[in-house]
Amino acid sequence: MSSLRSLLAVWLGLMVLLGLTTASSYLSLGAGNTLINLVIAAMKIGLIACFFMHLLRADSAVRLTAAATVLFLFFLGFLVFGDLLTRPELPAPWEKPAESPGGPYWGDR
Amino acid sequence: MNAVAEQFESAARQRQSAELGMWVFLSTEIMFFAPLFLGYVYGRWALADSFAAASQHTDVVIGTANTAILLTSSLLMALAVRAAKLRQQRSTVTLLGLTGALGLTFLALKGLEYYSEWQEHLIPWLDFRFEPAKRGGAALFYFLYFGATGLHAIHLSIGVTIVFIFAVRAGRQGIERLGNQLEIGALYWHFVDSIWVLLYPMIYLVERHG
Repeated sequence: MSSLRSLLAVWLGLMVLLGLTTASSYLSLGAGNTLINLVIAAMKIGLIACFFMHLLRADSAVRLTAAATVLFLFFLGFLVFGDLLTRPELPAPWEKPAESPGGPYWGDR
Repeated sequence: MNAVAEQFESAARQRQSAELGMWVFLSTEIMFFAPLFLGYVYGRWALADSFAAASQHTDVVIGTANTAILLTSSLLMALAVRAAKLRQQRSTVTLLGLTGALGLTFLALKGLEYYSEWQEHLIPWLDFRFEPAKRGGAALFYFLYFGATGLHAIHLSIGVTIVFIFAVRAGRQGIERLGNQLEIGALYWHFVDSIWVLLYPMIYLVERHG
């Protein structure tokens, strides 16, 4: 069983990370902003999974399930972006050139 | 559950199966949310300016408050599971009640936020208005925003219902009858919290300094 103190420490850590991610996004750090936000989100999810969801103390079958999920998520993302990033986006012959830099609004009928 | 179901040879085995089953379910849930995240990553890359402009129109105060509320609710949930293991019935019921109340607070604030977005014409298809040069990308952002937060809100509503049912049952029948169900339900609650932790910077913190 988790001790009262460790649960409170995890919560405090989560709150500090929330403060850091929010405060850092008001500084102009270029790509660093996105990086910090993603790393902090991953750390928070890691804390929740390891301590609140007891992943560290879970059976190996459970830990394997969690790891396999993350791995397959990366496979799927890799395949999607491997495609998107390596092929030029060619308009179909019947398409008009992009009407606005923000892309067409598909809500207009 | 005080009795072991007949297909399990021991209570420990039953607990292990229940936990594994919940994690497998959560894996399918992650795969269920993943396309929304993937669509977002595509938009953030291909329509970066529009996504940044659209994110400026979200309410960062409500978003941050809601993140703190959910993180705190997860702590209370973990404390409730701990109290149940220590056979402290009264504090289990109280902690579960508070967890559910924080979940309801989150949903109420989310509702307020949706209402102001409706007033600002930020809902795609419902008279969506945005600066013309960034309109298409912003519409995609808000489409993903309502898709992801709506799906999250449905999950949270289910979580709140489960937590209140646990609280009532723990109060009336005692925590022994809950057995490891509470622990399994808590996994779901923490999962819904984790989804929001990832959504928060994606929605509210894009180019905030701009």
